[in-house]
Amino acid sequence: MAVPVTPDHPAARRVSAGHFVRLKLRVMGNNFRGQGRRIALFVVGVLVGLWFGAMAFLGLAAPGLVGEPRYAGMVAAFGGGLLVFGWLVLPLAFFGVDETLDPARFALLPLSRRTLITGLFAAALISVPVFAALLAVAGLVLSAGLLGGVPAALVAVVGAAGGLLLCVALSRAVTSAFATMLRSRRVRDLAAVLLAVVAALLGPIQIAATAAIRDADWDRLAGVATVIGWTPFGAPWTAAFDVVDGRAWAAPVKLLITAATIGLVLWWWSRSLESAMVGAASSGPAKARRGAPAGAVGEFFPRVVGRLRRDRFGALVARECRYWWRDARRRANLISIAVVGVFVPVMVNLGGGGFRMSSEDGFTATGDPSPLLVGLSMLFVGVLASVTIANQFGFDGSAYAANVVAGVPGRLELRARMTAFSLYVVPLLVVVSVLIPVVLGEPGWIGMAGGTLLAAYGCGLAVNSFISVLASYSLPETSNPFAMNTGAGVARSLLVLLSMVVTAVAALPMVVAAALLDGGWLWLALPVGVAYGLGAALLGAYLAGDVLDRRQPELLAMVTPRR
Amino acid sequence: MTGEHPALALRGLAKRFDSKVAVAGVDLDVPAGSFYGLLGPNGAGKTTTLSMAVGLLRPDHGRAWVLGQDVWADPVRAKALLGVMPDGIRLFDRLSGAELLAYHGLLRGMDPAVVDQRAAELLDVLALTDAGRTLVVDYSAGMKKKIGLACALLHGPRLLVLDEPFEAVDPVSAALIRDILQRYVTGGGTVVFSSHVMEVVERLCSHVAILADGIIKRVGTLDEVRGDRSLEQVFVAVVGGRTATGEELAWLSR
Repeated sequence: MAVPVTPDHPAARRVSAGHFVRLKLRVMGNNFRGQGRRIALFVVGVLVGLWFGAMAFLGLAAPGLVGEPRYAGMVAAFGGGLLVFGWLVLPLAFFGVDETLDPARFALLPLSRRTLITGLFAAALISVPVFAALLAVAGLVLSAGLLGGVPAALVAVVGAAGGLLLCVALSRAVTSAFATMLRSRRVRDLAAVLLAVVAALLGPIQIAATAAIRDADWDRLAGVATVIGWTPFGAPWTAAFDVVDGRAWAAPVKLLITAATIGLVLWWWSRSLESAMVGAASSGPAKARRGAPAGAVGEFFPRVVGRLRRDRFGALVARECRYWWRDARRRANLISIAVVGVFVPVMVNLGGGGFRMSSEDGFTATGDPSPLLVGLSMLFVGVLASVTIANQFGFDGSAYAANVVAGVPGRLELRARMTAFSLYVVPLLVVVSVLIPVVLGEPGWIGMAGGTLLAAYGCGLAVNSFISVLASYSLPETSNPFAMNTGAGVARSLLVLLSMVVTAVAALPMVVAAALLDGGWLWLALPVGVAYGLGAALLGAYLAGDVLDRRQPELLAMVTPRR
Repeated sequence: MTGEHPALALRGLAKRFDSKVAVAGVDLDVPAGSFYGLLGPNGAGKTTTLSMAVGLLRPDHGRAWVLGQDVWADPVRAKALLGVMPDGIRLFDRLSGAELLAYHGLLRGMDPAVVDQRAAELLDVLALTDAGRTLVVDYSAGMKKKIGLACALLHGPRLLVLDEPFEAVDPVSAALIRDILQRYVTGGGTVVFSSHVMEVVERLCSHVAILADGIIKRVGTLDEVRGDRSLEQVFVAVVGGRTATGEELAWLSR
């Protein structure tokens, strides 16, 4: 309609979700302009997404393809439930969320909350993982269509679409809520504890699940699947298979559950988004205590490193120590390490023991953990803990310029960063390597576990020092510790993968020794592993430091966010 | 030694980003003991030039010397003589003001006792003592500039390179910064700073260079550059600004 534009009533056109989608596509496109490396990474990301999507597609479509309606509902409930769970947990623990459109940028625009949420939500749907997941759940639609004809397929389409929306909404809402909590000074420690508790709960759930699978009782499994099917985790995916089984009345109810959950989650997201947009208001009053009588230098050194010499090395360590705690992004990483460090070995060893037991149909009270399995899980924890520093310069961003201007020698810089990070992580690793053998009822393995863990960690420090010097990338300067730049997700995943493989290979001799030798090795492993890890870390700092000396300005340019 | 070498010498510095030439060959000699203003409109290449001069950004071509020390061949010795306050770059802002100063001082290899004493003095002079343990990230823009200046001054450099030191600073703080810089120059130091505030440059500087489109358009002592006109007139003439005709943006007036 052609409305004559009068100065008093400028025709305000409605802002639709399409605007946000186009904006996101435009920002992504501009990011690629003239950046061959980014385009290549994006293509790799798409291929990886297609691969996983296709595999999951086959898995979810399998019951339909082989004509087994008995398993169809179960596959939908477990597979779909896993998908939702993954979207809920993985962004928090590892991957972050793609925040190409930073909500804070919209704070000044006259947009209603509803418009903003719908728009950001629609924009969030434009991403490789979503398309991979779309491909995967198409398998469910195929399966439902083959088993139940057109009506079931139609329900499956609606359910799958709803389920995907739920996945994306959940990942946004949860990261946004945690970002808000981690930002605010008052409750950030509470948030950390909460995350840890959630993670601690995962362990028992996993154990219970493996115990259930071990019993391999199809009726009981079907029962669990039915229950999951009625929760938001399974409802969107299983609705179609109720139609297949002739319980057509259940389908609309399950779709309703899905829709209501999406609504609730979006409402939750909009609440936390509002505080994210207002930003500083939630950070609480600053502590304005008067300077300590100890003077600037005394105040600067945290008590943990109070004995350190007041020189360049000491200053670097002290600053890194302060940063690992005060920077929300770094703290979130530390929490992840703590969570994964406890969760993974418990899961692998207790769960693995369970599997072994069922296959041997013996029914002893304890499982049958092996030194090899414990060694491998320790290796994995060490690798995961050290991978955090793969982008250690990216955490600093442009502030790293201070070190460049002061001309800090590369080796000193890397050694100091390793030291400060280890002050937080090594105690945790020690706890893990004592805790796991004790829980397994094999306290004699503490030496082997600790040695392997510290060796892997030391190798990881060395490998990741190289990666941080050569391939750090900038992080967006938002207050959301989970936010990443467009395309950085793929780059990050590839780098993490590369560094983990190299580290694991470097530390593998420890595990091989654990498998081949016995008796004496169980305790000899501790001094050997510590020496191995320490040597590797120092050698890494020595070699990578040399590279850093030649690359300081380039590194600064890499970690400085583009504006 | 100070007499032999200019405080800062640039020869043929050039930098290109993707397809855009940011700096296209800059030659500059900053005499020791001068108060040097680098003028230019937004996007002229001021920050790029200064970044290359202090070792933060590797130039495509050209060299830079600080008091005779080659910045890119022997960065350690050149950087020891330098104090830098970059613009648009974050400080390690999750430290308090005192902590940040302690970090910078120790990083420069200073004695802890001297760091303590100078940090207290600087915080006091710059009126930042009241901020106490407030983190620098929570400072106002003007306070951030002041703590940045303190970090650059702490180790008593011979040459101070400041990028936009008066941007976003309130008049009281600006006067304070001016006083400190003037005392520093009187005491034998050299200051190079970039700005587009003509009034400040005219009041402070002994020498001026006007940078536009990545090259130096005018250079010399303040009097040589401005002649009998005001600096602003010279600047606009050199840079080639446009003046509004009154026809466009008619809808702004109701």
